[in-house]
Amino acid sequence: MVEKKRYKLNRLETTRLIGPLVDRHWAELREAKERGEKVAWCSGPLFIFPYAMGMKCHFMAGYAAYCAGRKAGDQVLEAAEADGELMDTCSYHRLHTGMAAAILRGHPVKKEVILPIPDLLIIGRLCTEMAHYAEALHRRLGIPVVAVDFPPPRRKEDLPRLERFVVRQIKENLIPTLEKVCGKEFDEEGLRRILRVLKEAATIRNQCWEFFKLKPTPWTLWDYGVSIAPVFYMMGKPETVPYYKALLCELKERAEKKIPAILPDGEKYRLYWDGWLPWAFLGMFIRKFVSYGAVPICGRYPWEFFPHPEYIDPDADDVVQNWVELYYTKAQQAAVFMPEGALEEVTKLVEEYSIDGLVMFASRTCRAWNVGQQEIINEVERRLGVPGVVIEADMVDSRMVSEAQIETRLQALFETIDARRRRE
Amino acid sequence: MRAVENPYRTVYEWKERTGKKVVGCYPMWLPEELVHAAGLLPVVVWRSDEPVTVGHAYVQTFNCGLTRSFVDDAVRGKLNFIDGFVIYRTCLQAQELPFILERHVRPAYLEYLYLPAIFPGNATKDFLIEELERFKASLEKFAGREISDDDLRRSIEIYNENRRLLRRFYEFRRENPGILRAREVMAVVWSSMLVPKEEHSSWLRELLSELEGRHEELLKERRVKGDLKVVLTGALCQTPQFEILDMIEDLGMVVVDDDLYVGYKYFANDVELDGRRPLEALADRYLRRKPTCPTKGDWEMNWTDEVVDMVKRNDADGVISLLIKFCPPHLCYYPDIKRGLVQAGIPEVMIEVEHEIVSLEGVRTRLQSFAEALRRGA
Repeated sequence: MVEKKRYKLNRLETTRLIGPLVDRHWAELREAKERGEKVAWCSGPLFIFPYAMGMKCHFMAGYAAYCAGRKAGDQVLEAAEADGELMDTCSYHRLHTGMAAAILRGHPVKKEVILPIPDLLIIGRLCTEMAHYAEALHRRLGIPVVAVDFPPPRRKEDLPRLERFVVRQIKENLIPTLEKVCGKEFDEEGLRRILRVLKEAATIRNQCWEFFKLKPTPWTLWDYGVSIAPVFYMMGKPETVPYYKALLCELKERAEKKIPAILPDGEKYRLYWDGWLPWAFLGMFIRKFVSYGAVPICGRYPWEFFPHPEYIDPDADDVVQNWVELYYTKAQQAAVFMPEGALEEVTKLVEEYSIDGLVMFASRTCRAWNVGQQEIINEVERRLGVPGVVIEADMVDSRMVSEAQIETRLQALFETIDARRRRE
Repeated sequence: MRAVENPYRTVYEWKERTGKKVVGCYPMWLPEELVHAAGLLPVVVWRSDEPVTVGHAYVQTFNCGLTRSFVDDAVRGKLNFIDGFVIYRTCLQAQELPFILERHVRPAYLEYLYLPAIFPGNATKDFLIEELERFKASLEKFAGREISDDDLRRSIEIYNENRRLLRRFYEFRRENPGILRAREVMAVVWSSMLVPKEEHSSWLRELLSELEGRHEELLKERRVKGDLKVVLTGALCQTPQFEILDMIEDLGMVVVDDDLYVGYKYFANDVELDGRRPLEALADRYLRRKPTCPTKGDWEMNWTDEVVDMVKRNDADGVISLLIKFCPPHLCYYPDIKRGLVQAGIPEVMIEVEHEIVSLEGVRTRLQSFAEALRRGA
């Protein structure tokens, strides 16, 4: 029988500081048009370029996290369906078309999740559905689009030519379009400024990651998840560095005093989490984990955000090239998007962070990653003897989340880990 | 019909008969001509008609029928007779398939192509040509022979000839509604994806000659007795069940045209050589914006306009959208097609095509009420 109801989550104090920072970011975006600023909506990792131009920019997945955090996800999805969207469509896509429907046709949704209609839609086609959302918004709202194909690499030898392709598209398509929309030359110094701050924030964040290696861990992947904005859509903002400094300080203190992330004495199971963070259900998942003494520690998605700040070179001769190299030949951030790269990354993370089990979160409306997930479990089990389960749910749509199914799969995982421990 | 009743047997028999290695090409836009020019037998991979069994352990239920069936076939060993596979990023599901193939089928040849979205700008075309050059070199290595420009031109001509014949076949259907059953038309296109193009064209020429010669007599027979004309749209990458096509006709609707993948999309455009390098001509066919394909990322093209044109061209009474369950490119586009057709005053019904159909009765009810609505409207 799996042991239950003995553990309690011990939240970090610093993470309470993130709410106001994130709220300010979104408020600035909402009010940008009133201030006469240009606004872009962006999918994929390209938002650094409109930022460099001083544009306010929304990021597709970041908006989903924000919407979910505001408990407005289901409401916006309803607006999308009232406007003709089908339930099987990517819920990030539906959130955006739902928001557009709310603006165009007055479907009722919370005011704070309504964003201004942008001057430009930017596609970073790392995920093909990230392109479909902008195509749909173009058809419905007539907003201009600029697009960069951003193919995730299957093999290491593909990296250089994919990199050349992406660099060319940014220089030949994206930058000239931004210059036209903003009516000024591309602000290369602006890009360098953002990279400088990002490098510092990501470097401190990596120091924070080191604390995940401790047993018991002083923090959880969810703590990092809610702290992700500073190396993600808030990149380059000066307040991001003090945030991570405060986080590092608290983690050091916890480590010194041996204060664990879950009380009374830390975790029984250390978990790897695959897939998107379940933005609308973070609370539900962590309550379930903690009740079994389990803590999510790491995952390939949260590790996508500039895991190698040493490669960020704000003073590089060709700073655009340097930025693309982070995704391809140097830091290879785009590789984890394919199962071949993911398998290596998962194996590395499982070893580095002494993981006991894998939880593969398969989003029902997102087809990225889920075909390879079971095979990754099988391969990691063969390589390292670490078991895993697949949980089917969704990042936003509550109708696709079955707590009973999640409970059963988690129990099965923990019982497997227990049985193996007994044999050892 | 025999060729598509058991695609595994069909392809296997052609492999035996020709002694050529078979290369399975993933739908929808791979340049099969290059595979053909290497002396190999290109076939387009298909959705099996069996329910997914072992594959459930490798792929979640919320992926499309082709993905799930292909993975199931791969892990059950049903694809082991195919010598090679070429996959590209048709969608998110397709990009993960080489990972499964590599572990379960271990084909002698496995190529993953980065066919780009057809975004504007020179970078796209240059990258595409570079990618096709690389594909050519990898095929040469596998086939053990060079592909000369003349080889490629010859293959392109063979493919273009087949496309021209298929277009003539479609024209025959448009002009003579009710002679051909929808399942027969689909079988003709599908079989072109499974057997050598030369053979298919030769057979198609005979078929056309018979149809055109006997068309007065066939018109009198009119095997599909319907009072309504409909066009089909959608069904990317795979075939819907023939039972659905039969049901449409049994309810009095005659299919006069379509823009399906196993349909018009497959042969709509030729590779136009026009004295260009054949590889560049292949790239240009891929970059053609019509017929609109939502997997190619062309935000300015309007699929709805093309469907409206198809309705007008055929004087059709309505549109049946065949939406493959869990097909993201179509799912993301569908609401705009629906809205556009409503605005154009064209009746439309959407049928979700699932791999394992639990009950055809639900589909029949939808189609029946659609047919009745069309009659009331008429």
